[in-house]
This record gives sequence, C-alpha cells and structure tokens, in this order.
Amino acid sequence: MSLNPSKIRGDFPIFQRKINNNPLIYFDNAATTQKPIQVIDSIKNFYEKYNANVHRAVYSLSQEATELYEDSREKIAKFINAEPSEIIFTRGTTEAINLIAYSWGLDNLKQNDEILLTEMEHHSNLIPWEIISKRTEAITKYVKINENSTINLKDFENKLSTKTKIVSISHVSNVTGVINDIKNISKITHENNSLILIDGAQSVPHMKVDVKELDIDFLAFSAHKMLGPTGIGALYCKKKNFETMGPFQGGGEMIKNVNFNSKIQKPEIQWNSPPWKFEAGTPNIAGSIGFMEAVKYLDSIGIEKVSSYEKDLTKYALNRIKECKKTIVYGPLDTSIKCGIISFNVQGLSSHDVALFADTFGIMIRSGYHCAQPLHQVIKLQSSARASFYIYNTIEEIDRFVEVLKEIEQF
Amino acid sequence: MDLQELINISRIPLPYSQKVIDLFRNPKNQGKMKNPTVIAVAGNPACGDMITFYMKINDQEVIEKITFESYGCAANIATASIVTEMVNGLNLKDTWKELSWKKVVEEVGGLPNVKSHCGILAVGAVKRGIRKYYQQKGLVPNWIPRGLTSEEKQALEEEELAEKLSKK
Repeated sequence: MSLNPSKIRGDFPIFQRKINNNPLIYFDNAATTQKPIQVIDSIKNFYEKYNANVHRAVYSLSQEATELYEDSREKIAKFINAEPSEIIFTRGTTEAINLIAYSWGLDNLKQNDEILLTEMEHHSNLIPWEIISKRTEAITKYVKINENSTINLKDFENKLSTKTKIVSISHVSNVTGVINDIKNISKITHENNSLILIDGAQSVPHMKVDVKELDIDFLAFSAHKMLGPTGIGALYCKKKNFETMGPFQGGGEMIKNVNFNSKIQKPEIQWNSPPWKFEAGTPNIAGSIGFMEAVKYLDSIGIEKVSSYEKDLTKYALNRIKECKKTIVYGPLDTSIKCGIISFNVQGLSSHDVALFADTFGIMIRSGYHCAQPLHQVIKLQSSARASFYIYNTIEEIDRFVEVLKEIEQF
Repeated sequence: MDLQELINISRIPLPYSQKVIDLFRNPKNQGKMKNPTVIAVAGNPACGDMITFYMKINDQEVIEKITFESYGCAANIATASIVTEMVNGLNLKDTWKELSWKKVVEEVGGLPNVKSHCGILAVGAVKRGIRKYYQQKGLVPNWIPRGLTSEEKQALEEEELAEKLSKK
C-alpha cells in the first residue's frame, strides 16, 4: 500500500500558504524539508513543560529533560540500527563531518597519508578534509565519476592504496540523486584496512539506511532534511573507532573530572565517555526532541514506503519532463540508482532565470551549484536548476511544474 | 497558452521588466572584439554567471567601441548590454563618473532584488577595465580613487572563477 499524500499534507501547516497568489509547491527538499505539526508542537511542548538543562542537576525538571534528550538519541539510533551510545548529536551533517575530520583526522593522519573523496562530494564533505590535509600534510585524492554521474569503481580501486586512511563519500549525490553502492564500496574499503565515512544527508531521510548492514564506520546526517528542525543532526560512530578519537570541542559535559592540582597549578582533566565526550556545552535539547518526533513521524509511515513513493514521483516526473523539448536532465534516469532529485537546465536560459520564473508560479526550486561546484565543473556545467521531492509532494504538483516548465521554455 | 497569458490569468507580474526581456532576446554589442585595448572580466561564483567586456579606447581616452560576452541570466545579459550603450562614445573620466549600478538598474527598468548584483557586476567590470587601461599606460589619473570601489571589489572577488570559466 502506498502512502496517502493528502493526509500527510494536512499535517504541514505551511501548505496553507500561497506564494505569489499560487498554492505553494515546495520542490527544494534536498536543501531542507518542511515540518509537520507534530514536530513543531513537540518543540513548543518541551519549552512549555520540560525546559531545563540536561545532565546537570538533581531536580526533577532537569531529570525529565535529560530523559527526553536521551530518548531522542535512542530513537535516532534505532532508525539506523545503531546503539544509542554510538550517536553523537551535532549541529548537522556539516558539523558531523568536521567532527571526524578534526578529532579523528588530526590525531591519526600524518604526512603522505591519503584521504579518498569523490568528484561528486558536497562542499561539506570536501572542505573539512582540505583543511585537515593542510594541517596534517595528508593528501586528498578524488575518485572520478562516470559519464552517467555514478562512481567510477575502477578508479576507486586504483586510487585506494595502503596509504588510504579514510574514504569519505556521499551515499546519495545532492545534484544528480545518484545512489552509491555503499555496501560494496565499504567492503572494498575495509579489505584495504581503511575507514569509511558516509555523508548520509540525502539518503537517511529517503531510504532504509542500516549501519550494520552497510558495515560503515561513520555516518553523518541532518534532522532538517527529514522533517526535523534546523541546527541538529547526528554522527554515527562505530564503537571501536572511539578509541582513536580525541575530543572535538572542549567545555562542559565532555569532561568527567577537572581536578585542579595546586602543585602544578594546572587542572588534571579526565574526558567523559563517548558519545558525551563529543558534545561540549549545552546541547540543542529542543532540537533533539524535534528530531525524535520527526523520526517517529517517518516511522509511522515506514521508510520503505517513503522510498517507493518518492521513486514513483521521480519516475513520473522524469517521464513527463521528456515533453519539455528544451529541458536537459543530468545524471542517470534509472530510478533504481537514483533518488528523488532532478537537476536540469532549459537550453538558452540561466538556471537562475528558470528558478525565478518558477517562483512567480509558486514553485520553489533551487538554482546554482548546490554546494557542489567541483561536480559542475567535471560535468562541464555552469550551473543547474534542481527539483527534489518528499512525502508531501504529489503527481498534481508535478503536472503543474511541467506545465510551467513548458511556458518557461517559451521565454 | 503563452507565458504572457498564463501570467495574466495568475496575475503575477513578471520578475523582469519588458526592457530586460527585450535586451535578453536582442542584446546590443554582443560578441568578442579583435584587438581590444582592454579586456575586463567579472564573474559570480555564487551563481556561476560571468561577463567579459572588450573595450577599444582611442588616444583621446574615449571608448570608441565596447562589446560584451555573457553566459549568465537575463539580468546579467541585459545589464551588460545597457552598460555598453551607456558608455559607448564617452571618455573614460565621464564613464567613471556617470556609471553606477543604480543607474544601470534604472535604465533596464528595475531588477528583482535578488538580481541587483548583476548590475553591480557589470559596472565593476567596466571600472576595473578603466583602471587596468591606466595601469598598462603607467598613468594615475587623480579622479580614480586609490582604493577599489565596492563595485570593483565585487568584480575582483570573483575574478579567479571568471578566469577559470573563461578557459572552458
């Protein structure tokens, strides 16, 4: 049984809005998703009834807040088949990748070690490694992509060597929607005794991601791309890897004991155990509760249903876009290796003009590089427009989009 | 149903003025120039747009001919086109004084807010071209401010990318 988009839409207050006198059609889900009332209410409810700092005080309110915060960790862990102690809360995918780059990278990378990335990475899985490579003199290498924008496995195996300490790669490209075969890539990586980090920003919200089945070391993802609030995300970290990771940021919560030794006039510091060792300062408690509620919402639908519904939408959209003669779609058209992300251009028009015109009809699509400038250069594109779908989008919205796209082609 | 009809039905104003659309469809002075005195490039890494101006400047420091190439959006093409019309035949000093992005935006009948940077880019590129002309001659006219104008700065920031893209 497929999911019921009209029932789902009823949970999202934003769809009552009109944009430029048109009903809002939101097709920028790869950037961020809209929030259901359940998530919005959970945050409001927390501030109205439970607000207190966590892990700090003996009084009831703080105990309750702590319980909610840790419940959230548990819920999110279960969603990706991890242990709660393997989930570190971060500001989002970007901070999660930075955490690994700094706390694992600075301690474990040395001159001439290699970090293996790909040409399709989002800037957030590229810049942190470039920064760390400068500091440690480790070398970043980039795996080539094939003509259809999938990873060139041959080039991957060629570039993987005894020097490769970590492979960091996106599960799903935020430009082409290509789904990488992580299970296979992870197997090859581990046979090479390297670690593997997966940027799950575009996969975790849309498909079943099981860290045990994929057998990966690290997984980074954001709440706001899966119905949750902004400013919170998670880093999954396989337990055994904690041993190799120094602290990330310093502050409260990440320490167990700070004993000021008067003889040496310095504090003696004992780190907290993971995952708290990596959560300095007061965390985003309300955010974590919104995150938990978002996961509950997705669970109530079933992530497999989410996946198959999006595939149906994407298939339908790709098929209908064929009617738009001046529109070129990038990446594979085969939805067995592609998520609900469609990047395209209209011949003779800048992607920004396409997005600007779509906006006048109430349709929100992205334009530009989508934070993946290298990929655009590799596939020789100046920029592209992008439509990306989620559970509340409908066939009717795609029909309207295609109608508008045909008009834009006449510009 | 064409775009205009559709717009009439939904009563949405076009994001672009008629002038921008006309210039986008029929730009003036578009194309490369052989043996220009100065080439000025500006691009915007945030959106991927870029413009190149080619200027022929005579001994009286008058812009005899100016053309442009652009791979950008309609606003980018229209503002570049209008700039060539505005400064053609002017001497460099007057060009420097007369040309501002506000004037450019006015001349194209206004731009959506998100697009005013296109006007800034076009003006910045021409001003950088003028500065470059005097640098090549080893001259420092007193009417050119020492520090870069904000328009030049914006064009400068984006020069590196523009160079990369122009090689494609």
